[in-house]
Amino acid sequence: MGMASRIECVFFSEFHPTLGPKITYQVPEEYISRELFDTVQVYIITKPELQNKLITVTAMGKKLIGCPVCIEHKKYSRNALLFNLGLVCDAQSKTCALEPIVKKLSGYLTTLELETGFISNEECKQKLLPIMSTLLEELNATGACTLPIDESNTIHLKLIEQRKDPPIVQEYDVPVFAKGKDHFIKSQWDLTTQQAGLTDYNTFMHHVSKSSIQYYGVVTMVSIFQYSNVYCTTPIVQSLIDNKSIQEECLRYVTKQGQKQANLRDVFQLYCGLTPGTTVRDLCSRYSPQLQRVDERRLIQFGLMRGLIRRLQKYPVKVCRDEKSQPPRLYTGCHSYDEICCKTGMSYKELDERLENDPNIIVCWK
Amino acid sequence: MSSTAMKKKVLLMGKSGSGKTSMRSIIFANYIARDTRRLGATSEFDVEHSHVRFLGNLVLNLWDCGGQDTFMENYFTSQRDNIFRNVEVLIYVFDVESRELEKDMHYYQSCLEAILQNSPDAKVFCLVHKMDLVQEDQRDLIFNERQEDLRRLSRPLSCTCFRTSIWDETLYKAWSSIVYQLIPNVQQLETNLRNFAQIIEADEVLLFERATFLVISHYQCKEQRDAHRFEKISNIIKQFKLSCSKLAASFQSMEVRNSNFAAFIDVFTSNTYVMVIMSDPSIPSAATLINIRNARKHFEKLERVDGPKHSLHMRMR
Repeated sequence: MGMASRIECVFFSEFHPTLGPKITYQVPEEYISRELFDTVQVYIITKPELQNKLITVTAMGKKLIGCPVCIEHKKYSRNALLFNLGLVCDAQSKTCALEPIVKKLSGYLTTLELETGFISNEECKQKLLPIMSTLLEELNATGACTLPIDESNTIHLKLIEQRKDPPIVQEYDVPVFAKGKDHFIKSQWDLTTQQAGLTDYNTFMHHVSKSSIQYYGVVTMVSIFQYSNVYCTTPIVQSLIDNKSIQEECLRYVTKQGQKQANLRDVFQLYCGLTPGTTVRDLCSRYSPQLQRVDERRLIQFGLMRGLIRRLQKYPVKVCRDEKSQPPRLYTGCHSYDEICCKTGMSYKELDERLENDPNIIVCWK
Repeated sequence: MSSTAMKKKVLLMGKSGSGKTSMRSIIFANYIARDTRRLGATSEFDVEHSHVRFLGNLVLNLWDCGGQDTFMENYFTSQRDNIFRNVEVLIYVFDVESRELEKDMHYYQSCLEAILQNSPDAKVFCLVHKMDLVQEDQRDLIFNERQEDLRRLSRPLSCTCFRTSIWDETLYKAWSSIVYQLIPNVQQLETNLRNFAQIIEADEVLLFERATFLVISHYQCKEQRDAHRFEKISNIIKQFKLSCSKLAASFQSMEVRNSNFAAFIDVFTSNTYVMVIMSDPSIPSAATLINIRNARKHFEKLERVDGPKHSLHMRMR
């Protein structure tokens, strides 16, 4: 799991009625220099047009992320309270994950001020300092923090790492636990996952597609295993040579139950033996010595999950048809054998026979 | 017909909370004194491009500068050139109740230094403001003291001092005098006003700027009792105009008459209102109104910078 960038400083800035914009508190002290603040203060304590918006400003090698708040009321000197609780990171770091935290904090402080005058009251405001320290420490250490404010209020914050969206779950995909079932304690799962259970396949697949367990790398989709499948290597297979931890993980995963651990040379040869035109059946007959200690199913599974190999699917395309007939629905080159079998209920063998004998159909491998 | 606007830059400076934004809101933005309580602090500076058009298509650029310490320090350092160049008028506002006189004077002197360097021909005005908070019998004393101090401190520049409050007409007197300094061809305007007044046999004629109701020119043929009548009139008419607009009515003209005099206030040119005071009871209203109407065209022409100079032809009685 990639870590979000380190937070270098937490600051609390205000508009003082006679001094103007200033930093009231910062943890660690003196992190933001006078010069830096002078340069960026117009984006920290802002004019009305920029208020209540998340603003990130980069200057002098630092990135400041804040959300300037303005609360108007005649009880405040000059009729308004302006403040900004923000975070500082290195200018090169990725700070997207911190943005929701800053926004959330500004909302919390606004509510606290409206309900109890937390910020405008000098005594209460001092409590901000220990809160800011805790925030800095805990977010950097664990990516989450719990900030008790007073007897009735606690703020919970968590850094959500940004990931790429997972591919859409298809009917013919097979879910696999990416990290091993036992790795996850059931009580840590969210309510919906617990309820879905593993009883009914359709319910579970539906749950997988709709929930975020795929997003978090808990479950990965692979294509169904068949001995007639064809695979080929990807450039990532090189990592089996370069990366010690992947090697170890791989050997542990693919070794047959009850056997001595397979060796890297054999496993690597097996992966490299996967080429276009070679089915798994072919691989097994060609490399039977290497497969003595290796489970071919798990070999393929590991290779797919880690991206060392990819499946080559067959895509039928109908090439000529007379003008009167309907355009092909499934034989367009966009639907794989797997998909067609799933949709039509035919077996792989049935479909293959049918298409091999049709002169108007060409099959592409991709 | 000239359409290029002449822009004049006016700096409005002073400590935070001294009353700058309130003043400009009243004069230029139709606030009444009570409403200024709602105003927030000015951040950095707000450049008010007042669409106050005076004679010769003059547009005022009023730079209302927030007075917090952080901002002030910036004005004298990183923003120095930007703020203090091309200034026609510097208005410095002092809060009469301030407890930090030394600090106030320090900032004032920094302003003067910057002005000397960047706009040495600028005119300087000092407003001793919030005078309503001083006891009435003390006001003259305190003001005179301050005036002396400020004149001394300002050398070699000369400054004109006013005592002001948003709660009375003193605000109008100060701002009228300030704006008067900015009007181009003001001598020509006064000459024409005098001719007009003499032809129609008026006791007094006042010319007001249309949006602010500041008196920008006047003529009187004899001494009058109340030297403060100009600003009082400005104040009264402005308040009346605002009250009218609250009822969705717009003020056009007014005639006030008793056995001693008749006063006419009416729209004059596109940028001005006129007030004519007649003390000869034998002259009927209608005649005066016709005269005012006829004079309009002439004064309209005066307001256009490149317009030819016409002599005044008036209908009499």
